[in-house]
Amino acid sequence: MVRFKHRYLLCELVSDDPRCRLSLEDRVLGVLFRDTIARIHGTFGAAACSIGFAVRYLNAYTGIVLLRCRKEFYQLVWSALPFITYLENKGHRYPCFFNTLHVGGTIRTCQKFLIQYNRRQLLILLHNCTDEGQREAIQKSVTRSCLLEDSGEEELSDNGGEEAAEAME
Amino acid sequence: MPAPATKYERIVYKNPSEHHYMKVCLEFQDHGVGLNAAQFKQLLISALKDLFGEVGAALPLDVLSYEEKTLSAILRICSSGLVKLWSSLTLLGSYKGKKCAFRVIQVSPFLLALSGNSRELVLD
Repeated sequence: MVRFKHRYLLCELVSDDPRCRLSLEDRVLGVLFRDTIARIHGTFGAAACSIGFAVRYLNAYTGIVLLRCRKEFYQLVWSALPFITYLENKGHRYPCFFNTLHVGGTIRTCQKFLIQYNRRQLLILLHNCTDEGQREAIQKSVTRSCLLEDSGEEELSDNGGEEAAEAME
Repeated sequence: MPAPATKYERIVYKNPSEHHYMKVCLEFQDHGVGLNAAQFKQLLISALKDLFGEVGAALPLDVLSYEEKTLSAILRICSSGLVKLWSSLTLLGSYKGKKCAFRVIQVSPFLLALSGNSRELVLD
């Protein structure tokens, strides 16, 4: 029927500096994306992409960002992502880049993908783990996420990712 | 005896031509403004950059010929970029603070077509 269709871009912020993720804020990110699209695609791109543009979800611990844009112009937004090379916060510049994990038509599909992705990341973390205390914490998160899957209630397992990320740091 | 059937072969080119050629003329509001070829190309690139950003400015654009006296030029652009170039020429308003406008005289996918313009034909 007649409705505005969107595309949701699930991106991960990758950076060497651990302070970079903590300085993520949705308004700062929104301004950064709009400026980058204006630089790369000009006035036309800035106007076309800014209509339905929004930062829908942001997780400072895992660095996951969910962007929304109109379906007709999602490729303009997607192609401008590799040109973001640093995040600026209070005068500090942190070099970083955005890795696009998934493009979905609804928030629900992106959420399902994120849950599976986080489960896989937990297993990878467990595999690469060196410290015993961290290993126990990650094993607890993994079993908890498996239990949640079995019980039929899927909560966003960023909580497990959060704890694992904190344990790593 | 019936005449032998004539053989003929019809060749149809389905692929559109890769480049489009535009004959344009730059008009200034006040006279006495001159640009050399490099400044002209810089003006075109900056018009594209304004409207379409870095991606637009990177379009493969060539100035095939340029006349400094009349400020007219023949441009070549890849066919996918024709709409972008034409719209950015339309929206270009000024050069170094002086008002100007681009007049598009002729557009064709074939360079040879730009040599004869039926609009400039004078009938006796």
